[in-house]
Amino acid sequence: MLEIRNLTKVYDDGTVALKNVSFTVAEGEFLIIIGLSGSGKSTLLRCINRLIDPTEGEILWNGVDIVKLEGDDLRKARRKIGMIFQHFNLIKRSSVLNNVLAGRLGYTSSKQSLFGRFSKKDIERAYKSMERLGITDQAKKRADELSGGQQQRVGIARALMQEPELILADEPVASLDPVLAHSILHRLETLNKEDNLTIICSLHYLDLVQKYSTRVIGLSYGEIVYEGSQKDIQAMTDEQFKEIYGEEAIRVGGGLEGDLTQVEGGAA
Amino acid sequence: MNNKKPKGSYMIEEERKPSMVSPIVAAILSAIVPGLGQILARAYKRGIVLFASFITIAGLLIWRVIATAKYDVGFFNKLTKSFRLEPMILILVILVFILWIWTISDAYKHAAQEDHITLGVLFLVIVIFFFLGWQIGGIAPAELISNIPDSAPLLGQVLWPWDAAIHYPKEIVTTAIEIQIPCTDELPVSEIPDEGSYISADPLCGELAELGGQPGSSIQIHGYGLIPNLETELWWKDQLSNDFRQRQGGEYITVITDENGDFEIEIFMPYALIPAGHLAQGYVIWEFQTRQIASVGEWTYSDELKLTTEKMIETIFIGMMATFFGIILAIPVSFLAARNLMSANGFTIAIYYFVRTILNIIRSIEPLIWALIFVIVVGLGPFAGIMALTVHSIAALGKLYSESIESIDSGQIEAIQATGANWVQTVMFAVVPQIIPPFVSFTIYRWDINIRMSTIVGMVGGGGIGFLLVQWIRLFEYRAAGLAVWFITVTVALLDYVSAEIRKNYV
Repeated sequence: MLEIRNLTKVYDDGTVALKNVSFTVAEGEFLIIIGLSGSGKSTLLRCINRLIDPTEGEILWNGVDIVKLEGDDLRKARRKIGMIFQHFNLIKRSSVLNNVLAGRLGYTSSKQSLFGRFSKKDIERAYKSMERLGITDQAKKRADELSGGQQQRVGIARALMQEPELILADEPVASLDPVLAHSILHRLETLNKEDNLTIICSLHYLDLVQKYSTRVIGLSYGEIVYEGSQKDIQAMTDEQFKEIYGEEAIRVGGGLEGDLTQVEGGAA
Repeated sequence: MNNKKPKGSYMIEEERKPSMVSPIVAAILSAIVPGLGQILARAYKRGIVLFASFITIAGLLIWRVIATAKYDVGFFNKLTKSFRLEPMILILVILVFILWIWTISDAYKHAAQEDHITLGVLFLVIVIFFFLGWQIGGIAPAELISNIPDSAPLLGQVLWPWDAAIHYPKEIVTTAIEIQIPCTDELPVSEIPDEGSYISADPLCGELAELGGQPGSSIQIHGYGLIPNLETELWWKDQLSNDFRQRQGGEYITVITDENGDFEIEIFMPYALIPAGHLAQGYVIWEFQTRQIASVGEWTYSDELKLTTEKMIETIFIGMMATFFGIILAIPVSFLAARNLMSANGFTIAIYYFVRTILNIIRSIEPLIWALIFVIVVGLGPFAGIMALTVHSIAALGKLYSESIESIDSGQIEAIQATGANWVQTVMFAVVPQIIPPFVSFTIYRWDINIRMSTIVGMVGGGGIGFLLVQWIRLFEYRAAGLAVWFITVTVALLDYVSAEIRKNYV
C-alpha cells in the first residue's frame, strides 16, 4: 500500500533528518516507529503527507508518488491520510464540533469554508464520529476546555472525518499519562482492527510498542537501525535497544511484565 | 574599598593598592578639588563620583541663588537675599558645606586606609539632590491646605457644575422714581400705583456731591412689591439718559428684597457728571431705578451643555475614526513586522527591522506631540486629532498585532493542512481563529485609549472636548469646565467598562 524508497530530508540549516530511508507498509498494519527525540520520526511522518517536502526519494501510495503531487492532487491524497499529533493541534478557541468538522475540509469547497459552513451530511458524520469516540457531550464546548485525553479523542475524530485509509500518529500519547496513553492507543487499535485502517505511529514507550504494534521500525539519526515484527520486539535484546536509544539508555520494565490490562476511556 | 569592612557591611572585600599621596595631602587636595584626594588614594570611581556631584550641585545651587535674587548686585548680596526669600537655599548651603568637610575627611581616611562608612558621603549627596529638587520643583505642601479657602468655591463649581447645564431666560425688571436736582419749591409728585411695585423717596430731591467738596445729600429710599428675596441693583439715569450705578464708598451697592419684595436703604447723591452751571431750567430730573434680574418663562438647556454634548460626541468619533484608520493601516504593517513571516531571507529580515524601528520611533512620540505636528499641517480641528491618534495607533497596534501573529501555533496550521484543506481553508480555520481574538482585544483596548487621548489632543487644538475644556478653564468658567470634566469622566468610565466586558467575553 505504501512504499517508501530512499527517502532523504536535509533541512535548510544542514541538519540531516532522514538518510536514505526505505520500507513498505501493507494494508491493515499497525506500524510503530521508535527512536530518540530528533531521530527523524516526526520528519518521516510529515514527509508522508507532505507537510514537509522530502529532499530526495519516493513515497509510493497506491502506486502514486506523493512526492511529485502538487495542488489539488496533493490535497486529494492528503484527505485520505489522517494525522493526529502529540499536542493534539486542535483549533483551541473553536468548538469541538467545529474541530471535528475541520476534518471534512478536503471535501468542502472554499466558498463554503469562507463562511464556515458544512453540509448536513458532514454534520451527521461528525456526530457519528464523536459518538464513536465518546465525546458527543462535549460537542459545543471550546476545544481548550477539554482534558488532554478528550482533546486527543477530538483529534482522532477529526482524522476519521477524512474517511482515511491511513492514519499517521505523531507521538499521540506523549503528552498524556500512562492510563490515557493506553486508552488512546486502544482506540487506534480498534480502528486498525475494525476498519482495517493502516496506522503508522511514532512512540516512545517500549511497553506500548510491544502491546500494540504489528511491526516496528527503529530510527536513529535518520536511519533505520531496526525492523521487526511484534514478536521480534518482545524478544528485543538490550543490544538492539541500545542501538536505537543510545549507549546510555536503560531499559525500564522491558517485556510484558507490568499490569497492562486495558483501561477503557472512562478516565480520559 | 577599604581593607576591613565595618560590621554590617555587605560589600565584597577587595584588595586595594596603597595611596599615591599621604593622608594630609589627600585631604588638602580634596579641599581644593573635591574628589581629587580620593582619586590619588586610588579610589577612582569614588573620586570621580564625588567630583561630578560637587560640580553639579555647585552649578545648580548657584543657578538657584541667582534665579531667586534676580535684582541684587554682587554674589554675596544675592546669597543673603536668597536665604531670606528661600530658607531651603540656606539649608542646602549648610549641607554642601558638610559634604565638603566630609569629602575632605573621606579623602584622608582613604589615603590612610582607615575604616569608615563607605556609603555615608554618597548618601549625603543624594540628600542634597533631594533638597535641590524640592527647591527647584517649588514644592510647598502647605499650599495644598492654605489655598483651600480660595480654591474650594471654584472646585465646588467644577465638582457640581449642573447650574451651567440649564438656562433660564432672564429679563431686567426696572422700577423707577424721579428725583429733582437740586431741591426747589416745586417738587415732583410721586403717585402710588394701585398695584405692582413702586419706589418712594424721601425727600424727592437732593443735592449732588461735588468733586473734592461736600458730599451729596441723603435720600431715604423705600421699595415696595418688587420681586422678593432677590439681589437688586441701584441705578441712576441722568437727564441725558446716561446710566450709571449707585456707589457708596467706592463700591457698587446692592440691596436684597425681603419676602414681600420690600427694601429700605439710605443713599447719598452721586457726583454730577454734568456741571450744575449748565442747568437750563434751574433744576434737572434724574431717575432713580432698581433693577432686578428676573427669570421669565421655561428653562432650557444651556449653550454650554449643548456645546459640551456636541464636542463629546465629536471626541468619541475622533477616537473611533482614529481606531478605524489605525486598524486598516496597522494590519498590513503588522505582517511586515512579524518575525515568523519575515524571516525568509535577508531582504525580508531587513524590511522587518526597518518596519520595527519605524514603529518604535513613532510609538515613542506622544500623541500630544503628533497632534501639535498635525495642527501645523492640517490646521486646528478634529482632523488634526484624528491624524495624531491614527499615527500613534498604527504604531501601537502594529506592534501588538505583529506580536500576536508571531505567537501563532503552527501546529494548528499543520493539522488543518493535513486534512487536505487548501490555502483559503487553512487561513480561515487555522490562522483567523488564532489571531482574531487578540486582534479584537487589542483593538478595543486601543479604542479605549484613543477616546481618552482624544480629550487630550483636543487641548492642543486637535478638536473635540479637550479644546473646550482648556478654553473654559482659561476663561475661568469653572462651571462650564466642570460640565466638560463630568462628561469626559462618565464617558471614559463607561467605555472602559464596556471595553473590559467585551474583551472578557471575547478572549
